[in-house]
Amino acid sequence: MMKKLALLLCLVASPALADFAPPITDPLTKAACGECHMAFQPAFLPARSWDKMMANLADHFGDNATLAPDKAAHIRKVLAESAADGPQGGRMGHKILSRLRADETPLRITETAAFLRKHRLPESEWKRPDVVTKSNCVACHKTAEKGIYEDD
Amino acid sequence: MSPRVEFTLLRLWHAALAGGFVVAYVTADEDTYAMHVFSGYWVLCALTLRLALALIGSSSGPLRLPRPKFTWAKPGRNPLFAWMAALLLPALALGALTGVIADGVPVAEDLHEAIAEAGLWLVIAHGLIIAWIFQGRRIREFLTGAAALLAVGLISLPAWAADPAIAAAYGKEAGETLSAARGEALYLSKNTASADFASCSTCHTPDPRAAGRHAKTGRVIEPMAASANAKRFTDAAKVEERFTRDCQTVLGRACTAREKGDYLTFLMMK
Ligand code: HEC
Ligand code: HEC
Ligand code: HEC
Repeated sequence: MMKKLALLLCLVASPALADFAPPITDPLTKAACGECHMAFQPAFLPARSWDKMMANLADHFGDNATLAPDKAAHIRKVLAESAADGPQGGRMGHKILSRLRADETPLRITETAAFLRKHRLPESEWKRPDVVTKSNCVACHKTAEKGIYEDD
Repeated sequence: MSPRVEFTLLRLWHAALAGGFVVAYVTADEDTYAMHVFSGYWVLCALTLRLALALIGSSSGPLRLPRPKFTWAKPGRNPLFAWMAALLLPALALGALTGVIADGVPVAEDLHEAIAEAGLWLVIAHGLIIAWIFQGRRIREFLTGAAALLAVGLISLPAWAADPAIAAAYGKEAGETLSAARGEALYLSKNTASADFASCSTCHTPDPRAAGRHAKTGRVIEPMAASANAKRFTDAAKVEERFTRDCQTVLGRACTAREKGDYLTFLMMK
């Protein structure tokens, strides 16, 4: 019994130092914001950014993401809850905030200083055909939808 | 050294130590004695190496061996890490050293065994603490996610395949017979309202039975044909929501009820 336990230990005993952002669990938000792209983890932007984005879904980066007003209000609450500066922002939120000026309201995760710092990649990486755009996290981070951005 | 390199070194070292310890533990019987001695020395070497790594690591990097504290300066590393290192490293070193002694002086065997046993419990505790620190939240998140998914799945289970009533309702609203041919023409039509999305097939691909790709976000879109995707057109509200958006985007106007009905008819026959 002890020997089996010891072997099991060996299997799980690799230090897990993955970078983690809590994924959205609210089913409505996950469905509505996970349709055209993966449902980005709210911790990547502060609440003021999400508010601004939710206030103008008709022009959502050149796309139309209009939602019924009651749905939008609910989603706005969910996003604020886990936003970088929200109560559930966690360590990822802290990292984002620490590199954000107070007068900045970025709408793109991919334009935050914290993102740019981690993504000084060669141009050829961004040009890979399956990447399409910087915001296509899943193309490079297989587990992005689960909020796990372990660098490998 | 960059933190990245330091973490890699730390991981390699950790694998070497954990591997050596486990091998030593499972080969403790008499008949595998040679392997046991070898892995015991291996552990000893790994522990010595750890001290050397601490010397060459940067002053605030992961290779440093900080003095354990009772306070936690947030943000910062959980103080439990320092405590685990402070307990585990000496305990394993003691186990390995008493092993070397027991090799020559058999009376030390009992002591060696007791220390090694205690070491295993420390390692187990170490594993549980790490699991708790790193995985606890993820496991909770996974469980709530799975529960939510299951609930959603159960609720929508009865309506799994495309619902012909959705197209029929558009047909009734239009007061006309629906046509798959007109639907196909709409699906493939090239328009000028949007520079990025000339056609429905820009994202949904010209072959509705194949998976498409959102032309801007890169996200995969499951096939549109009902025959190729059992989840298509099952929820009238979702269908209407997407028509509202996608027609506006591609055509620069809303689709008429007839167009919507035609479009669905085409995709349900495909
Ligand atoms: C109709 C499709 C659609 C829906 C629905 C949608 N989005 Fe988007 N979203 C887009 C497109 C297109 C882009 C731009 C992608 C690009 O240029 O990289 C985008 C970009 C974004 C970005 C910026 C990504 C970056 O570059 O960092 C965020 C954040 C975002 N969306 C959040 C949301 C949220 C929150 C919701 C739910 C309310 C949502 N989206 C729903 C289409 C959509
Ligand atoms: C073209 C590929 C690519 C895309 C697209 C991409 N990333 Fe990354 N990302 C990387 C690479 C490579 C690294 C590792 C960089 C390093 O270790 O210095 C990384 C690192 C990260 C990290 C830090 C991980 C760590 O362990 O420190 C986070 C967080 C992250 N990415 C989030 C995102 C998010 C969110 C998106 C989408 C909005 C995204 N990435 C899109 C390639 C990509
Ligand atoms: C910008 C990319 C894009 C374009 C262009 C586009 N769609 Fe879509 N469409 C989507 C996405 C994303 C979804 C939702 C993902 C899914 O259902 O798999 C969707 C879903 C739909 C649905 C809902 C299917 C269902 O199962 O409920 C309909 C209906 C639809 N689109 C019609 C159209 C029509 C009509 C056009 C052309 C006028 C069009 N689309 C053009 C991206 C696009």
